[in-house]
Amino acid sequence: MTKMMPSLVMIAVTAALMGCNQSEAQDPKVTINKNPYPSTYQALPGKKTIIKNATVLTGTGEKIENADLIIIDGKISAVGQNLVADDATVVDAKGKWVTPGIIDVHSHLGVYPSPNAESHNDGNEMTNPVTAEVWAEHSVWPQDPGFNRAREGGVTTMQILPGSANLIGGRGVTLKNVPSESMQGMKFPDAPYGLKMACGENPKSLYGSRNEPPMTRMGNMAGYRQAFIEATEYKRAWDKYEADYAAGKNAVAPKRDLTLDTLQGVLEGEILIHNHCYKAEEMVMMIDLGKEFNYHSGTFHHAIEAYKIADTLAENGNCAAMWPDWWGFKLEAYDMVLENVAIVDAVKNSCAVVHSDSPVTIQRLNQESAKIMHNANANGFNYTEEQVISWITTNAAKSLGIADKTGSLEVGKNADVVIWNVNPFSVYAKAEQVFIDGAKVFDDKDARYQAQSDFLLGQE
Amino acid sequence: MKKMTKTLLALSMASAMLGTSGLALAESFAITNATVHTATEQGVLENAVVVVKDGIITAVNTANSLAAYEVDKVIDAKGGVVTPGFIGSMNILGLVEISAVTESGDAQDKKADITFDPSYAYNPKASSIAFTRKGGITRNVVTSGGGEDIFAGQTFVIDLTGGWDSVKQTNTAVFVELGANHEGSRATYLQQLVTQLEKAQKSLEKAAKGKKSKDNEDAEPEAADEIINQLLAGEKPLIVAADRASDMLAVLKIKQRFKLNVIFVGAADAVLIADEIAKANVPVIIDAMRNLPESFDSLHNDLSNAGKLNAAGVKVILSNIGDSHNVYSLRYSAGNAVANGMDYNAALASMTANVADVFNIDSGRIAEGKVADIVIWNGDPFEYSSHVVKMYIDGKEQSTQSRQDKLRERYTTPSDLPRAYTK
Repeated sequence: MTKMMPSLVMIAVTAALMGCNQSEAQDPKVTINKNPYPSTYQALPGKKTIIKNATVLTGTGEKIENADLIIIDGKISAVGQNLVADDATVVDAKGKWVTPGIIDVHSHLGVYPSPNAESHNDGNEMTNPVTAEVWAEHSVWPQDPGFNRAREGGVTTMQILPGSANLIGGRGVTLKNVPSESMQGMKFPDAPYGLKMACGENPKSLYGSRNEPPMTRMGNMAGYRQAFIEATEYKRAWDKYEADYAAGKNAVAPKRDLTLDTLQGVLEGEILIHNHCYKAEEMVMMIDLGKEFNYHSGTFHHAIEAYKIADTLAENGNCAAMWPDWWGFKLEAYDMVLENVAIVDAVKNSCAVVHSDSPVTIQRLNQESAKIMHNANANGFNYTEEQVISWITTNAAKSLGIADKTGSLEVGKNADVVIWNVNPFSVYAKAEQVFIDGAKVFDDKDARYQAQSDFLLGQE
Repeated sequence: MKKMTKTLLALSMASAMLGTSGLALAESFAITNATVHTATEQGVLENAVVVVKDGIITAVNTANSLAAYEVDKVIDAKGGVVTPGFIGSMNILGLVEISAVTESGDAQDKKADITFDPSYAYNPKASSIAFTRKGGITRNVVTSGGGEDIFAGQTFVIDLTGGWDSVKQTNTAVFVELGANHEGSRATYLQQLVTQLEKAQKSLEKAAKGKKSKDNEDAEPEAADEIINQLLAGEKPLIVAADRASDMLAVLKIKQRFKLNVIFVGAADAVLIADEIAKANVPVIIDAMRNLPESFDSLHNDLSNAGKLNAAGVKVILSNIGDSHNVYSLRYSAGNAVANGMDYNAALASMTANVADVFNIDSGRIAEGKVADIVIWNGDPFEYSSHVVKMYIDGKEQSTQSRQDKLRERYTTPSDLPRAYTK
């Protein structure tokens, strides 16, 4: 016992010294790799191309008749009338329409692929109301035939999200719609991660039926708040570690937590919120939740009641990603109006997006937008094709944080381009050619550019 | 007494003619200046006149003189398009208000079997009915959602007036679901079907020979027997849900053996055996928008299938199979089918004349003697830019306004007061 004493004292003294000894050697700094599954995407071989004589919808609100578009080195190099490009491959698009590549902000391709089978249900980690630790990219099956069908519908970029069973379901990933054997081969370089959250019926009914929290909408709110309280503390611990280490102290790094890593990314503004949320009052609460924890509440998905709070959404810089006409499957999806997107879009500084959440309608986001445009125009609105295209291009890119790279036909942007046989907002419209980063990835008249999934190969 | 009777009779006559659509009597009228898609061999008539009296189409002409028709009212279609009202099929319209609110849904029942008649649960006031009229749908074949038995139940026919007398025909066909089985084998389904048909046939043969089957030999309730007998007599169609070609071929054999009147629904891979289906004269109800290999039963789903089946001589019906809330969008399926190779007039017939023929409905054509289910459009009825201008069911005008319009109006009408005061 007495023998023990001195050594204990020694330890205490040493510890006390450690705390304030600035000159003590620091352990190697602990840093977290934020990109451990990096993109290996490389553009397919492209050519210098000029698309001539088309009706061009730029995505920036412009419609240019008899226009040409030049693609050099995978980028848009010029858009306008009577352009000249020496030694370029010429695509005559007389009578045809050209738009930016279509972007879907809400897809489950690859995580709920075709064929539907239990062994393919990889989108919902229904084991805990908060599963911010899971990343949709780790579930993606790149051979999902749905990717090819979506490309044939002009879709060049899509965000793959986890499902909506949980309050916080996990990270989404933005992919380029190119055939690949790996998820990394499709991953959109430098696109921010998304975080899927869900309001309303799904989480409370799933966990409530198990007699676990949340069981009510107030339980939902408590769940988000608890998660962000923990994330705030986690962030504080890391900030302190960073500051102490920078000050030369040999600080001890906080214990790493995969769930809180993601939520910390939200608090730092690196990860964007994508929130499944139908009802007006819930969206307004989620906006306040963001303010409570000092992050931006991002994009509301489905948002069937967005038209009731269009002003609030615009004032707070929230996008709303909506369907034209889905309704009635749940009570929270009862108050559908066919003009929802139009009403949201009509407000200044708005960000209206049309999304699919479906392997079927992702193939026809142009037609989904047409439904909205024409229903709105039959009821007092006056939307044009050049405005409406932004719902599935520019605004979608903004929602995903990639508007500096794609979503519009502006000089310097990635040459993600679709050539349509007719006005893309016609029921008879078909994507004839699709380009990603200036490389042709689909041609409806040339079998060499019609990708087929391994799964369908040789099926008689 | 006599006087009384007359008056009473007149009164009851009048009330019988009172629609639920807000228009008192079915006026006689003529639609002029229209491009009429007749869905008959007449094809498309430019600048035509359609005359309606007492809810029936009495004349369809490319006529100049209206005087001859003596109608109460002339409706100028202003160069618009006239089609027969579209007929939805194999959906659960009016049987469910909110899918996830199970107490508001009556399409399914665990105990549902061949005798299940969901028409008892039809709600003409379901909010989906008015919304569905926006798509030019005037009549609809509603089906059961089924239960544990392979026989899901029976179909019934409604009109889209939303009136209390919307249910027009009940027990119109039997619906059986075959194909992939989550546990166990699909073979048992087909065997069960054959066994039941065999048993019924034997009973009928015995009865024909004057032998009575003992009651205790036969545990089946009488109603079910009667329905099977109607199938065997070819009086009632058997609607078979199947996707895989091998299942459909098996059913074609069963059809031939028992002389059944078969209709396929689903039929994803029908394109592989289109000639056999055409030869057997079996109509096919498909969802033209299916083009994903959803399962191993449907590896050949394709947007071109509707056109291919039609070209092979199969009678095609387009449907939003199993839908409850977006049946209105059927016309867009037709447009997509046309964009993917289906003949335009065939696509129109697949939502009108073909459905009427297969389900024995007295509308679906703009032709003399047909029930006046008529829609006037401001353009191509398959196109997004077109909408319903006027709609008639049994010659009575219908509204296409729905709860959705009320909500839009409420939230787009400027008001100093809270929205709840805007009605």
